Amino acid sequence: MAGQTWLADTFAGVMLVTAGYCLARLVISWRRHRRTDRQVDAVHVLMGVAMAGMLVPDLRVLPAGGWEVIFGAGTVWFGWQAIREYRDRVTLGRFRPHHAQHALGCAAMVYMFTAVTKAAKAASGAGMGGAARYPTLALVLAMALFGYVIWTADRLPALARVSALVARAVAAPSPAVVPAGPAVVLDAGPGVADDGLSPQRHAGPPLSPRLAACVEIAMGVTMGYALILML
Amino acid sequence: MTSYATQARSAGGCLSGPGVAGQEGWAAPDARRKLQLLLAGVWLLDAILQFQAFMFGKGFAQMLAGTGPGNPAVIADPISWSARIIAAHAVMTNAVFATVQLLIALGIAFRPTVRLALGLSIAWSLAVWWLGEGLGGVLSGAGSPVSGAPGAVILYALLAVLLWPPRRERPASFVAGRPAGPAVARALWLVLWGSLAYLALQPATTARGAMSGMISAMAGGEPGWLAGVDRHLAAFLATRGGAAAVVLAVVLAIVAVGVYLPRPAARAVLVLAIVTAAVIWLAEGLGGLLTGGGTDPNSGPLLALLALAYWPQAAVAPGRPEPTQPEPA
Repeated sequence: MAGQTWLADTFAGVMLVTAGYCLARLVISWRRHRRTDRQVDAVHVLMGVAMAGMLVPDLRVLPAGGWEVIFGAGTVWFGWQAIREYRDRVTLGRFRPHHAQHALGCAAMVYMFTAVTKAAKAASGAGMGGAARYPTLALVLAMALFGYVIWTADRLPALARVSALVARAVAAPSPAVVPAGPAVVLDAGPGVADDGLSPQRHAGPPLSPRLAACVEIAMGVTMGYALILML
Repeated sequence: MTSYATQARSAGGCLSGPGVAGQEGWAAPDARRKLQLLLAGVWLLDAILQFQAFMFGKGFAQMLAGTGPGNPAVIADPISWSARIIAAHAVMTNAVFATVQLLIALGIAFRPTVRLALGLSIAWSLAVWWLGEGLGGVLSGAGSPVSGAPGAVILYALLAVLLWPPRRERPASFVAGRPAGPAVARALWLVLWGSLAYLALQPATTARGAMSGMISAMAGGEPGWLAGVDRHLAAFLATRGGAAAVVLAVVLAIVAVGVYLPRPAARAVLVLAIVTAAVIWLAEGLGGLLTGGGTDPNSGPLLALLALAYWPQAAVAPGRPEPTQPEPA
């Protein structure tokens, strides 16, 4: 790592906690039928582990090239989802690009791992080295991620607390009686977007959208940090 | 005081959607809020730049100490004192600096803390303007619009003041005029851009080879394309620096008085201000962002952001409830 070791350790720790939390969301969603965006949680688990390994070489779990393939596929998948959201904006009456930021995040991961591989070959040092190729692209990606961080933080107060969601679920215990208008399905916010499952599959309230947003903020800041170190 | 969100809730009923207030409970950002978010984005970039390896070394303290010479003793002595402290505790002090900037960025972006964060940003900017930028070289005679005078960080404070969400807005046709009134906002604009025009005519800019030297110095450590642009610009100005400084001063003076013109002309002048800010930013080498040693994007983007805050819009009625009021807990 080109930066301070303690700082890299701190960011790596945050990433591991984040990945663990997203893994817990996936498990709880599966076991208790709570709504969450499983695609996003899954990619956050992968990103958290991958970022930790990038920041602290001892935490690497995949050989060179492995993460590039995974996040390359993620870029294509979330890019396609974002295109679909954009295409459907007329039908739905509004455009909320939930998946564009994840496509961007995956693309940034691909860039970073590619740059790290090249820099490591050049410097043969441990961890990320500075002076990656195409530093302007690193800056552009970092600024785009920061934009999403700020946008997510701006929306944070609008997301309901878990207690409010639980109260609402108690008031309407059967998912079948919950109004399922476009706002319910489509304006689900970070971490609680429609996962393609039928309403009957969700017995409880959604998992915390505020914490899902915090995950995105933590992920964006850490990825931006890693990108800035490559300048 | 009623916020937009509260109004929307009372009008539109309860939250909709799983876990999200949606359009009923979340006021889409208005013009001022968008500018605040842009400001928060710049602060976030600053914070992460402050986490770069260079900032934790002695070089950062030396850079700060270098802003003191040429200033009056009352200004320079505290700069030397703080630089010594930073040099002695480089890691701890820089970690605090970066964390404060990160908190300011997230605080501005998070609606309930926007006032607190803007207030903190004003205090922080003033302190850094003095102790970190030596008042932008204004008193030392080293300040030039091309090198970032009157100091990028003072522009953060100015933006925080102009984008402040007041309890009671004043009627103004542009965002910057709503906290303190259009007359005060226009006066601030005149002072800022007028002082830039004045600095452009000082020896630090007009002297033979001064502007060329400043720009070519920015090219060091830049990627090839940006270094090439700066080198070409420096070569062009090598023998035309004096004339270019006069042209720059005239443009800056036009921009300074532009906000007093009728709306169509004011808009044209604001476009000129944004273009000028872009050229200045290019001459600043994008603030050294791509060198691994930049602490901020320098004055170019902030001048452009400032121009956007003066963009004429429809006038608002007095007493209009402001849209970025923190939501009730």
